[in-house]
Amino acid sequence: MKKVLGVVIGGLLAFNSFGATAQQITYPNKNITVIIPKNPGGGTDTSTRLTIEYAKSYLPSGVIFVPENKPAGNGVTGLIEGARAKPDGTTLVMTTVELAMFPHQGKSPVTYQNFTPLYAPIADPCAIVVKADSPYKTLADLVAAAKEKPGTIQVANSGTGAIYHLAALNMEKQLGIKLKHIPFSEGVGPAIAALAGGHVDAVITTPGAAKSQIDAGALRALGVMDEKRFALLPDVPTFKEALGKEVDVRMRAWAALAGPADLPANVKDQLVAAFKAVAANPAYQDAMKKQGIMPSTLVGDDVAKMLKDDHDLYKELIAAAK
Amino acid sequence: MTEVLEAAGIVFSYQTLFLITVGTLAGIIIGALPGLTVNMGIALLMPLTFTFEGMAGVLMLLGVYCGAIYGGSITAILINTPGTPASAATCLDGYPMALKGQAGRALGLSTASSMFGGLFSTVALIIVAPQLAKVATGLSAPEYFALAVFGISIITSVSSHSLIKGLIGGCIGLGIATVGLDPMTAGMRFTFDSLYLMGGISFVPVLVGLFAFSQALFSIEENWGENLHGVSRSVSVKITRLLPTWIDLRRVLPTYLRSSVIGTIIGAIPGTGGDIASYVSYTEAKRWSKHPEEFGHGSIEGVSAPEAGANAVAGGAMVPLMTLGIPGDGATAIMMGAFMVQGLSLGPLLFTEHPVEVNTIFIGLFVANVLMGILGFAGIRAFTRIMVVPRKVLVPIILVLCAIGSYSVNHTMTDVFVMSIAGFLGYIMIKLGFSMSPIVIGIILGPMAETNLRRALTMSDGDFSIFLTRPICLTFLIIAAVTLFLPIVGPKFSAWRRAKAASAGQGAPEPSSDSRSA
Repeated sequence: MKKVLGVVIGGLLAFNSFGATAQQITYPNKNITVIIPKNPGGGTDTSTRLTIEYAKSYLPSGVIFVPENKPAGNGVTGLIEGARAKPDGTTLVMTTVELAMFPHQGKSPVTYQNFTPLYAPIADPCAIVVKADSPYKTLADLVAAAKEKPGTIQVANSGTGAIYHLAALNMEKQLGIKLKHIPFSEGVGPAIAALAGGHVDAVITTPGAAKSQIDAGALRALGVMDEKRFALLPDVPTFKEALGKEVDVRMRAWAALAGPADLPANVKDQLVAAFKAVAANPAYQDAMKKQGIMPSTLVGDDVAKMLKDDHDLYKELIAAAK
Repeated sequence: MTEVLEAAGIVFSYQTLFLITVGTLAGIIIGALPGLTVNMGIALLMPLTFTFEGMAGVLMLLGVYCGAIYGGSITAILINTPGTPASAATCLDGYPMALKGQAGRALGLSTASSMFGGLFSTVALIIVAPQLAKVATGLSAPEYFALAVFGISIITSVSSHSLIKGLIGGCIGLGIATVGLDPMTAGMRFTFDSLYLMGGISFVPVLVGLFAFSQALFSIEENWGENLHGVSRSVSVKITRLLPTWIDLRRVLPTYLRSSVIGTIIGAIPGTGGDIASYVSYTEAKRWSKHPEEFGHGSIEGVSAPEAGANAVAGGAMVPLMTLGIPGDGATAIMMGAFMVQGLSLGPLLFTEHPVEVNTIFIGLFVANVLMGILGFAGIRAFTRIMVVPRKVLVPIILVLCAIGSYSVNHTMTDVFVMSIAGFLGYIMIKLGFSMSPIVIGIILGPMAETNLRRALTMSDGDFSIFLTRPICLTFLIIAAVTLFLPIVGPKFSAWRRAKAASAGQGAPEPSSDSRSA
């Protein structure tokens, strides 16, 4: 423990001393507020706080990042505040994948177009997980069973219209199957508890939430919804690998740090450069992995593309679900 | 064995002991202040733990957790203002005791029961964690529904003044809980296009309003009345002894045990916490007590039961967290982050891969509960001074804390307005003879009952027999029905039996009595 910490601190110090040229943020003359539209202690909150902890060394002296949790109204109030802030780079907001879904569900008046995406610390794929003693050994087993008896396989999600439900809908659409959706609006924890107790057949979640039980052999991940395998679960095939070429089920749960739309170019460039450096910092990656998060390296326009792609994807899925 | 020794070495180093003490003390203070809750305290101190090496930071959070649950009872007993939701039930008998001049006795008993509950659940965690986890995950939606219905049926036993007003209060609570997104379909209910209402009416501001703000209004009224008439009510705060007497302890020991078992099990069930455990413990204490008539008027069992139950939740909530990697309540969900920062992946492998850390948590939790008791007993004299603080000083402080606490839940002023409205409504309702506990029970358990009823029916394709064919579920439903209807049917039944016995007793030898009454 001591050794790891020493390496972390040493790396941090070394990094600070000569990394402070190209990525230096020079524009702000007051503190930068970072709105976190989620409760303290959750994955979004922790990764935001870690990210700004590692980014603060690039700020001019006398200026700090001030994290503010605004979880009211499922986080929409925080998103609105971030979108309507003065576009001078002193207010940023950690948007989440809900930004791509809420506008189509009449829950949010702001969309990705109201933001300037900077850096996405999280972009984890969804995975479908079953109990270790489940009769479904592979994804193909599950799909075959769902085709045989449509609407009987119970798949738990974290609430109707939330990402894991939409992921299940996407599966149904792409694979031509019918599942039975069991919403757990209390969150993914109780859903996994129900799976561990054998009350549902499968859960759709990001791998991090179930990783400890997968590692222990109590649960089994059948497939991840991405084009490549997930680094934390290298043995689990993608949907494409498990089911064949024409299948393309891709669902990512992301969090993206963004400023309001119309951020001046020099402000955006400075922030993107700084967060790019943070993303490349091994100490930061280490700290994120300890939280069960595979840190992504998506910055700037790549994030903007992901936000737009997902906005269109969810528009289609939500329209089809109605 | 070496792991246990190594773990003991970590816990009993002076830095770690110091941090646990600081955490516990901070927890007691945060818990005692109305409006600041357990979760808030842990979230507040969590960033600090990143700076400590190894398990010390995690142990500090455990101290905050235990301390805050206990701390809530102090203000609940002394000024009828629960510091945390888990202490709402403690007001029922704690405050009447304080009014009778037994503040010290009440605090002594609640401190002892908090410590007992905490230690009991820690031992349970150490010995039967895997079995407890099995029991907890064995429960499915029908059982959760039955448990929630059982919880709601408690309303009949906490509304001592008027049953019908208690039931009305429960319905108000259930109504408040329906606002927001529909838990199953995510449709909007009673949201009127308001973004705030979409997230539901926040529980903490309503609770703070109903209990703390309304109590402050009463204090203002009393103060005004005293100024008008020139008399002042004085309550004796003399403390004769700190530790509970042996006679008291012997009487409440069964209550301690029962409440601790209830709290540990409820804590181990993911999604349920101290607020539910304290009310269930209170009801069961009343049900099995030899003096149920004392409840609500300063029963020593009534003040002990909720505290033992709420503090036993701490050990119980660690069960699913450590064995499954699933947090048992809101506080442990936040703590999970602190564990992960230390490289501990919580879950089935924790016990084999990190035996030293596991033992450190066990011993640390034990130490935190002992320290909580020591700090509590040491502080009783100081705590009771709150009662002699003049109202014109105390009330503004409470009002400010109410506003801060409500604001800090979601960082929105709307919550502060919700809190004040709830406070004024609570004031009026108490004047009309309503009690606040049924409303709170409705708000806590309404969503749990609704969600799990609908989830169970989704699973069974709409077949209601799912509730009757599962033994645990059916048992809870029957207990609920008994709890709900006994206070209504019971008096009628015994009156009928008395009448029958009377007429039978008189009827045989004296047939003329019939003709006389006719």
